Amino acid sequence: MRMLRNLARRRLRTGLTILGITIGIWALVVFGSMANRINDMVDKGSAFYDSGAVTVWGGGGSMPKSNPVDVAIADRIASLEGVDVVVPGVSMNISDDTAGMSMGLPPMITGEVAGSDKGRMAMVLRAASGRLLAAADEGSNVTVLGCDLARQYGKRAGDTIALRGEDFQVVGVLEPTLTQPDNSAMVPLAAAQRLYLSTLPSLVTANLTASKVVTSFTVYPRPGTSSEAIAAEIKAADPELGTMTPSDFTRLAGSYAAMLNAVLVGIGLISVVVGGLSVVNTMAMAIAERTREIGIKRAIGASRARIVREVVAESALIGCIGGTIGLFLGALIVTLANDAGRSSGTILFELTAGTAATALAFSTLLGALAGFVPALHAARLDPVAALRYE
Amino acid sequence: MALLEGRNLRKTYRLSRRNTLQALCGVDVSIEPGEIVAIMGPSGSGKSTLMHILGLLHAPDSNHGPRPELSFNGRDMVALGEGERTRIRAREMGFVFQDFNLVPTLTAVENVMLACDYAGVGGHKARQAALEALGLVGLSERADHRPAELSGGEQQRVAIARALVNRPSLVLADEPTGNLDSARSEEVLGLLRRLNREHGQTFVLVTHDPEVGQACDRIVHMRDGRIRDGRSGAAAAATQGTRLLR
Repeated sequence: MRMLRNLARRRLRTGLTILGITIGIWALVVFGSMANRINDMVDKGSAFYDSGAVTVWGGGGSMPKSNPVDVAIADRIASLEGVDVVVPGVSMNISDDTAGMSMGLPPMITGEVAGSDKGRMAMVLRAASGRLLAAADEGSNVTVLGCDLARQYGKRAGDTIALRGEDFQVVGVLEPTLTQPDNSAMVPLAAAQRLYLSTLPSLVTANLTASKVVTSFTVYPRPGTSSEAIAAEIKAADPELGTMTPSDFTRLAGSYAAMLNAVLVGIGLISVVVGGLSVVNTMAMAIAERTREIGIKRAIGASRARIVREVVAESALIGCIGGTIGLFLGALIVTLANDAGRSSGTILFELTAGTAATALAFSTLLGALAGFVPALHAARLDPVAALRYE
Repeated sequence: MALLEGRNLRKTYRLSRRNTLQALCGVDVSIEPGEIVAIMGPSGSGKSTLMHILGLLHAPDSNHGPRPELSFNGRDMVALGEGERTRIRAREMGFVFQDFNLVPTLTAVENVMLACDYAGVGGHKARQAALEALGLVGLSERADHRPAELSGGEQQRVAIARALVNRPSLVLADEPTGNLDSARSEEVLGLLRRLNREHGQTFVLVTHDPEVGQACDRIVHMRDGRIRDGRSGAAAAATQGTRLLR
């Protein structure tokens, strides 16, 4: 109570200082939530690779490409030693104008023969409504939509959706996975091959047959065979193929995520530190104004430690108030942005309890630290000199 | 035994690198329990410096000349560190300053409770003691007013209540009537005399107001950092006058 009255002495100054901390913590919460979301996508993405799956594509390089590959290569890979299952698949952007950079996961059409992974895929997909695809769906235009995609297009099981110019019947909608399937339309392989071919320039398609073309293979090694060994074998057999093993993915995604995290959290921290400096300034001014008051308190028996405690507690309170407001505003922005983004399938933020608690603790600690130097100065004042201070 | 006894008290202030001011050049002083003593003298005579040393706000110089001695309640104060001196100020001394010196954000009773707090008394007990002390100075009705809502005389009475709340053996007052008009000044002085008479409270007042001096049991006259004499004729007469009144 007394501390609040002290803060209320200079409302504008205290208000501005709290605003400084608020903005800093707000930035920390928003950017921290963004970093959380990125980490989460990486984690969920690596779950796909838990089975040791190696992704194979045409055209080499270290990043997956959507080049046309002859489906017959699947048999050649399958004949390699240590290979258990090979799943040919097709994936493409859902439309050409979404091919640009986006912060979230790009909306995709993916096609595989249902069940061709023989139960090896580590990521378990469940239908929130309707059903999943079955092998018997091959040849018909049916699709199962990821939850974000379904929301974006406003489709439910039983509706019809146009995918690259063809009508598909939505037979199911997936439960959220927090990674790529959320933003994918899953179709039977044959349908995907046909759609894929239509995306290629006619000069290329002239010599291609839809049923012979895929864009990737997911290769599951036999137990006891390492993904790296399989990848090496595949590349040795055909240098034109590119491969990504679980450790490649972790390395790649991890380094991107680490860099992004550093940038995001760095921006947040800088804002908070600037806010912290303004607390130092505010407390130093408050103490200069209250020099006589500190002199009286010291004279009538307040110990130095007591003066330090009073000042530090007051500045910690500034930090805490600023942090609370900042956290509240940050949570508001994150919620609003996620709500707005959900319709377009881009969930950018994830505010965890840990981030919230860290932001609050950090702002309070920062406030206390910022008050410490002015507090020491106050405690060292000679009470007699302080009493005479005008 | 004297309540407070000082010998060879010296204090030199360093004003700048070359310039020093010898504010106190070897003073012996003794305060008996139950006395009201006035320390008087023109400005620059060292009276405030003496009060700061007696009130443990400053330590006497001990780096040259005869060893200074200062005992309070029979204990040596010269060797004490800052922390211990602060504790004694909090628990066994009371202070009243010229400019009322209340904390502006706190109410009268909270200002008084501050002294309890520093003396290690808290909560309900502190509030009780603070209200009692305010009653002693006749301000029970104004306990929840902030300093800005009180007159100068009332503020000074709150300060006196704060000085008294821990029942200290000694109250030191630096120009307690310096900022008051003569009527208020008389009111405050009357209060101090009453507290002295009724509770045997020991006071040391620093003042340049002869009327205040005359109201005291004894006057210590200071000039140029030394005590001129223990008692003036007028003060002696006044003392006798007040004694007769008792």
